[in-house]
Amino acid sequence: MSAPITALIDGETVTAVAGEVWSALVGEEELLLPRAVPVDGPSSWVTVTGPWDGVVVLTCAASGTADLARSVLQLDDDEQPTAEDVDDVLRELANILGGNVKSLLPGPSALGLPETGPAPLRAEDEDTCRVSASWRGHDLAITIQGASEAPATTTTEVPK
Amino acid sequence: MKILVADDSRVMRQIVIRTLRQAGYDDVDVVEAEDGADCLAKVGSESPDLVLSDWNMPNMTGIECLRALRAQGSSVPFGFVTSEGSPEMRETASDAGALFLIAKPFTPDTFRDALDAVLA
Repeated sequence: MSAPITALIDGETVTAVAGEVWSALVGEEELLLPRAVPVDGPSSWVTVTGPWDGVVVLTCAASGTADLARSVLQLDDDEQPTAEDVDDVLRELANILGGNVKSLLPGPSALGLPETGPAPLRAEDEDTCRVSASWRGHDLAITIQGASEAPATTTTEVPK
Repeated sequence: MKILVADDSRVMRQIVIRTLRQAGYDDVDVVEAEDGADCLAKVGSESPDLVLSDWNMPNMTGIECLRALRAQGSSVPFGFVTSEGSPEMRETASDAGALFLIAKPFTPDTFRDALDAVLA
């Protein structure tokens, strides 16, 4: 069994990875501002299977998902993305975040196909690394959590 | 000049095509495939000059598609555009006959660096 995620990666690294992904996909000038708040909303995730087993989850406040899809797809401000577009954008962001996180973990390991839905979140413990941020005033969180048994939770509260 | 873009995400196909245009490949024809099996079929029917494929896809993965193409005798130039860029994956891709592996997120410069030699 691998070390817990907190021994393999830290929040600063996850924030840096997320910043690169945001800059490339959402827009060069799009900044993620650190913001330690619980985030509730639609989630997308990918599993990582290997020496470390777990999941990389992106959770975005519902208020921001359409804006996010609009930015990634470079739609006009008055264009409304379809539900399918929003779902696809969330999945692809989780896929790329997961792929980049996976490359920083012990290998070899495999990435699953991205999924969306209610966040499969677990309570904060040593096998959970969570960062939250604000993008254009919308809260979002990235959670990297192990597959080992742990109490489930419904929020993305970042520990003080 | 024709490029086949294979990715199960319609959004990512759109981003790859947009990046191709931003990298200066304005005049290439682009054909899209939804997964590895679709890609395999369209290499046969569309005769592309280059395939840009995701790795992780349902039905048939990108690496399975590449191996199937080579097993059929196809030598179509093939590159990966994928969310993972570990040394092991790059080696696996190269061993199967891929020319390059572009890791997401990417920029138009990344595309130019990988594609210029292939499309020259």
